[in-house]
Amino acid sequence: MMGVFSELDSTVEAIEELKQRKVGDLTVFSPTPRHELEHAVHPPMSGVRKFTLIGALSGVCFGFWIAIWGSNYWPLVVGGKAISTWLPYVVFGFEVMVMVGALSTVFGMFYLAGIPRLTMTVGYDPRFSRGSYGIFCECAPEQLVEAESILRRHGAVEVRGEK
Amino acid sequence: MTVDTSVSETGSSAGVKRRDFLKVLGVSGAATAAVGCSSGDVEKLIPYLVSPDQTVPGVSNYYATTCRECAAGCGLIVEVRDGRAIKAEGNPEHPVNRGALCARGQSSLQGLYNPDRYRQPMKREGDALVATTWDDALQILSAKLGEVKSRGQGSRVAFVNQHEQGSFPAFLDGVLAGFGIAPHLSYDAEAPVAVLQANQAAYGAAWPAIDFSAASLIVSFGADFLDGWGLPVPQQLAFAEARGKVEGAPRFIYVGARRSLTGLNADQWIPAKPGSELAIVNAIAGKGSAAAAAEAAGVGVALIDGLVAEVRKARASALLAGGFGQDAGELATAVAELNKARGNVGKTIKPADGYLAFEGVAGHVEMRALAERMNAGEVPMLLVRHANPAYTTAPGVGFAAAMAKVPFKVSFSSVPDETTSLCDLILPDHHGLESWGDAEPVKGRLSLQQPTMDPVFDSRQTADVLLAVAKADPSLASKYGFADYRGYIASRIGGNQNLKNALPTALVSGAAASRTAPARTASRATAKEQSGEYTLLTYLSPTLGDGRGANKPWLQELPDPVTKILWQTVVEMHPETAKRIGVADGELVTVTTAAGSLTAPALVYIGLRPDTLAVALGRGHTAAGRYAEAGENAWQLLDAAEDRAGGAALGATKATLVKADGKKQRIVTTEGSGRQHGRGIAQAIALPALLAGEEGHGHHVFEGQASTEFLPGLRSPTANDAQGEFGVPNSKDKGQYDPEHWSGAAKRRWAMTIDLAKCTGCSACVTACYAENNIPTVGASWQGPVLLPDRTGFGANVTRGREMAWIRLERYWEIDREPKDVVFDPEHPDFDTNFIPMMCQHCGNAPCEPVCPVYATYHAPNGLNVQVYNRCVGTRYCSNNCPYKVRYYNWFGYGDPTRSQYAFPEPLHWQLNPDVTVRQKGIMEKCTFCVQRIKEAEHRVSLEGREMQPDEFTTACAQACPSRAIVFGDAADENWSVAKWAKDRRAYHVFEELNTYTAVVYLKKVNHPAPTASATA
Amino acid sequence: MATLAHPDDLRRPNIASADIQLPAVTSYEQVDNEILAVLKPTKAWFASLMLAIACLGLGAFSWIYQIHQGLGVAGYNPPVMWGVYIITFVFWVGIGHAGTLISAILYLFRAGFRTTIYRAAEAMTVFAVMTAGLFPIIHIGRPWKFFWLIPYPNWRLIWPNFKSPLVWDVFAITTYLTISTTFLFVGLIPDIAVLRDRETNPIRRKILGFLSFGWRNTEREWRHFARAYLFLAAFSTPLVLSVHSVVSFDFAMGIVPGWHTTIFPPYFVAGAIFSGFAMVWTIIIPMRRWFGLRHYVTLNHLDASAKMVLFTSLVVGLAYMIEFFIAWYGGVKYEQDYFWNRVFGQWWWAAWIMLTCNMILPLSLFSQKLRRNPTWLWILSIFINIGMWFERFVIVVPSLSHDVEPWQWSSYMPTWVDYGLLIGSFGWFFMWFLLFVKQLPVMALAEIKEIIPPRMKHTHSHGGH
Repeated sequence: MMGVFSELDSTVEAIEELKQRKVGDLTVFSPTPRHELEHAVHPPMSGVRKFTLIGALSGVCFGFWIAIWGSNYWPLVVGGKAISTWLPYVVFGFEVMVMVGALSTVFGMFYLAGIPRLTMTVGYDPRFSRGSYGIFCECAPEQLVEAESILRRHGAVEVRGEK
Repeated sequence: MTVDTSVSETGSSAGVKRRDFLKVLGVSGAATAAVGCSSGDVEKLIPYLVSPDQTVPGVSNYYATTCRECAAGCGLIVEVRDGRAIKAEGNPEHPVNRGALCARGQSSLQGLYNPDRYRQPMKREGDALVATTWDDALQILSAKLGEVKSRGQGSRVAFVNQHEQGSFPAFLDGVLAGFGIAPHLSYDAEAPVAVLQANQAAYGAAWPAIDFSAASLIVSFGADFLDGWGLPVPQQLAFAEARGKVEGAPRFIYVGARRSLTGLNADQWIPAKPGSELAIVNAIAGKGSAAAAAEAAGVGVALIDGLVAEVRKARASALLAGGFGQDAGELATAVAELNKARGNVGKTIKPADGYLAFEGVAGHVEMRALAERMNAGEVPMLLVRHANPAYTTAPGVGFAAAMAKVPFKVSFSSVPDETTSLCDLILPDHHGLESWGDAEPVKGRLSLQQPTMDPVFDSRQTADVLLAVAKADPSLASKYGFADYRGYIASRIGGNQNLKNALPTALVSGAAASRTAPARTASRATAKEQSGEYTLLTYLSPTLGDGRGANKPWLQELPDPVTKILWQTVVEMHPETAKRIGVADGELVTVTTAAGSLTAPALVYIGLRPDTLAVALGRGHTAAGRYAEAGENAWQLLDAAEDRAGGAALGATKATLVKADGKKQRIVTTEGSGRQHGRGIAQAIALPALLAGEEGHGHHVFEGQASTEFLPGLRSPTANDAQGEFGVPNSKDKGQYDPEHWSGAAKRRWAMTIDLAKCTGCSACVTACYAENNIPTVGASWQGPVLLPDRTGFGANVTRGREMAWIRLERYWEIDREPKDVVFDPEHPDFDTNFIPMMCQHCGNAPCEPVCPVYATYHAPNGLNVQVYNRCVGTRYCSNNCPYKVRYYNWFGYGDPTRSQYAFPEPLHWQLNPDVTVRQKGIMEKCTFCVQRIKEAEHRVSLEGREMQPDEFTTACAQACPSRAIVFGDAADENWSVAKWAKDRRAYHVFEELNTYTAVVYLKKVNHPAPTASATA
Repeated sequence: MATLAHPDDLRRPNIASADIQLPAVTSYEQVDNEILAVLKPTKAWFASLMLAIACLGLGAFSWIYQIHQGLGVAGYNPPVMWGVYIITFVFWVGIGHAGTLISAILYLFRAGFRTTIYRAAEAMTVFAVMTAGLFPIIHIGRPWKFFWLIPYPNWRLIWPNFKSPLVWDVFAITTYLTISTTFLFVGLIPDIAVLRDRETNPIRRKILGFLSFGWRNTEREWRHFARAYLFLAAFSTPLVLSVHSVVSFDFAMGIVPGWHTTIFPPYFVAGAIFSGFAMVWTIIIPMRRWFGLRHYVTLNHLDASAKMVLFTSLVVGLAYMIEFFIAWYGGVKYEQDYFWNRVFGQWWWAAWIMLTCNMILPLSLFSQKLRRNPTWLWILSIFINIGMWFERFVIVVPSLSHDVEPWQWSSYMPTWVDYGLLIGSFGWFFMWFLLFVKQLPVMALAEIKEIIPPRMKHTHSHGGH
């Protein structure tokens, strides 16, 4: 069951009532992130940070390792300096940390947000990327009527069933 | 060492073989040029018909011979690889040059391989010279000579030969006599004939040896004995030896209007007006008052008084008269008398072991007389060999014009020049390094001349040509029993076997065939009435001589030791003069004399009187090859005036100077700033201070300070850190950088000391480096960008500072202001000059190394700062970070034969050293301490299974140095002399405060101030 | 827009806070319509694109000629071994700093004025770094060997010299390019989804659908998106500061007088932000005018960025002064001679162009009147761009031409090849930027929607309009 809303507050109220009545599980659409919706849905903490941490740690290790091992593989003295040195190699540690860390963050986001998604699955409406909000409520057939009534009561401009 | 005596016929096609051989070696693209003169027939790698000696591919043979670049007759050892001469070095056993060799001598190779050399005989058809065969050419010559002989015109035929000592002049006269031709004129435009004559009269020797070491005082009256005057190498050896003594070294005063290289090496300069030297000599001799002399000389009387006093006080002095004034003869006589009176003869002036270089030399006057006869149509035939009177005579003589009046003119020169280009028949002579001959530089010692390689082109030695002609004449054939000129030489020293035995050193006792020089016919020409507020000194270039070196890129690219000008002719003037006429460096000025005028950029020179101008001779050729066209021809300014002996008066022309409206040229120079700005690069110390121990050593500023702890300073930085921060703390394991490492890689620390007390700034080391390391010359006008270049003409690249000299001679004025602001003070005209050779310092802590992103430069365990050409990507960061700025970059493909910037046009590339890569475009290069020589020596000792002997080998610059100022070796081994020199109390490192721990240690120059402090300012 | 109240009437002194309004923008649909209207190609756009490509062509020709002939065709004059190419490299890297600064650092600081300008700034960053990245390759003697600077696995296991600042550069620039590109693209995903949903042409729709990774605006997606965006910002912040520090090491690690100084990293970073903002103005001010987006980039935005520019200008000016002071105070003769020569000697003209454009002119921004005058800001931005190019010139050339070795002192004069490549770099940069503005939204739709009040049923419960 899909409801399309044009106002934010009505969407929020609809969500709250649906959750209250435990009617199916909901997917909420909005053209831009709104805290109101987040509060209404109060989802678990995003897991992106784990990816970030792991990526960053492996990055810094690789950065130092490549520099130190590379220098020691051909132990040539330049400018009377040590063969391999901590200080300048911080640059490599840092840069590679940022590179790997950031990339794994993006990967984490893709992974968790379930994209890339190459097909438009059920329950999407182009209006969601424009100005409208939407609630897609997957629920057992017997709850359909209730869901529809709730959506309509809260002023959905359109309510339609989707398979 | 032996030599191939049967010169094969394959020489002219040898280039192809050379090319293939180098392909085999896989050496550098530079040598893979298509060879114009290749015959393309059967090709052998080694260009000998039958390998005469143990020629092994890649292994050098060394041939001893005699240098013919100037009259001196120095001994050469020529390195020959695979049948190609690749390097000319001094013969250590030779009495004249004792192993040293000047820049001009080393450049003989570029005469041998000169791309503009005649490749076969030529004859004139209409206006053009066309190639012909030797048979044809010889027929023409025989016919003409026969004609002359039958008509009995022989006495009027003239043969002008470039003056050379030895048996050839006599041999030549003999052949000429056979055709009834008068003895030839042995002409040398560089010979100071007036001095020769005066010396002969006074000492009984035309060129006595000068023992500077025995002197306590040297006074030179315009005698430029370090600029090529007389016999440059032996004079410099003696001078440097004397000055190198430091304590008890002679003080040196130079009297002359222009401070030449010799003058810059003097402790004091007395800028006497040109022509006033005689008055000063008289004042010393007591024949005139100091005041009058000072008046005439235009300097403070205190200077003259000081000079007089010093000469009279001196224990033993060496007084030298030079100069090219009209009174050169009188001056020389007066000085000789003074030497006698002071009892110097036999002490410092040694007629007994004099040099015979100039025996029977003819002067300017003979050329003028000849020109007059030619003009009068009295000369039916003119033969000329190597001499170039059409260029090296004053316009007043009109030699070139006169030649037009001669029906038939023959030239034996092997390179084109102004005279030869006017001839009707050209029979190219072998180059000196392809010829047989002998010289008698000192009494009783013969220095033999032998071919070092097959002829590069289809040339023939003149002696053999004459022989052939003579034999063709039945009446003469009987006189010549020997097959060729080699046979003649052999016969003179007692046969073939003796010759073979003598050749390894090319030295044998004996005497050259003597000749009687033709009596002087002409009378001395006195100068025309001249006007002009300036006196013009046209001086012989220290690098190009009278102009005979002008087509050798090495010499064109070698900065003049004094002005640092290359590829260009400038008008030198004192800053005051420049201010007066309102010009700055580079603005064009026009010098006008009675003879002609010349327009060239002005150059401010503080070592010149304000009432005097100077222009170097030798450039601005019109028909002497592609490189010789650079610059202007100063001979055109010369008046026909002569001195008593008939030598050209080069320093007595009156001239006017005007600013050529507004136009400007870039000065082609290697000089950035001529002052040290108090940075202590070239350091000098006065002798009293040195003796007083003020050279500032013994104190430790900090641990390992480079100057006080030389060896640790060289070694420790790399050795200590080699192990790195991740190793065991204070572990002894420093890998291969540990002197104790089994590989022995770090056993040695190659280093160099340079004694600035000996270095005269002659720059022979620079040319030696070019020759040894395949350094490209970049100054030719066609070596710049091809599309819309913003700088054109000769030296365009140099105006962007792109010269490639791995070692350069820096010349610093010790003055407190910019040269252009210097004012001339007749009371205190003096200023100090310091020369310093600067090359890669092979730092222990080299700033260039850590910045290279690809390890193209790193520190080798033996202390060398290595440059890996193949790895270099050309970020040029190393050069930025080098405090000494001794890294040079290949801006163009100088080594690529397909490019206009190619630096070694065929057959110049035959000289390239196979041991050294020719660098490609886009990479950095620098002094390697001649790493190829180091490796060669190391391989040699390991093959012979022995330890390396101390001072067993040395670098190219050290080998050539005619001052013996450069010492190279292993600083880690006490037995090498470099280790001893490095501990000298005068030792210092340049930019020591940067803690680069350089491997090059300089020894401070020592100045010898006047006994009375007031004399020098 | 005539019907709207003029946005400039509303002055908000604390513009740099997160609390910002676009009074003239009322609905989500309006945002889409107005910003996507920009995408329609115009004649003027085609003309400027052609011009940019022409400049690029000149650059390409110069480079090919230089590769064939050798670097001698450029104006290098040893010991001035670095010239226009390195100067331009540092110049573009500097430009490339504003974007990530605005999108990352100002994001963390919740500076509201970034919202409408950061997309353009980020695109500018990516293209500027793309431009900068070319110059180290253009400048080396054997460009076909540039990859030797990269530690790629090869069978002889030859590695670059990790102690060389140039290798640090390779890492810094690569990382920066990767991250700023990622940042730009991640931000674009929701907006590409908007394009996708507006697109009628099926093929374009497919492509956009692919590029938007099937973004569906679900609350779940938004949640992870926001989180990831925060972390990216957190990474980019130190990265921005590090990149130009590393670039400054190229000089600071050398022992050349005028280079060997510890002030370089902060000094370079400030300069980079300074020049970056100038370039943002150079681009944004005409854009807001021609694309009719004045009510998105209001005078308040410009005012706020002007304060930023003023601040960085003061920092840079201070750095100049400190350089002189230390040169005198440090008592190193080489440094003292060099700085004298820089300001009063051989290079006085370059030094004074730098001081005038970077220190003196920006002082005008103390006046609010001028801060809110787009025309003046645009003129000033041109001066600053010139000034910052000359700052790098003054750092690179005079130092090398006046090193510790007086005999080798020299001068420097670029040739047409240098200028050709300089012009070419602008052509390359603007070609990409022009292509960008007609393909993708120049402002972040989603984020603008975030700050404008949403439609409500019970208007009383919200204090909107």
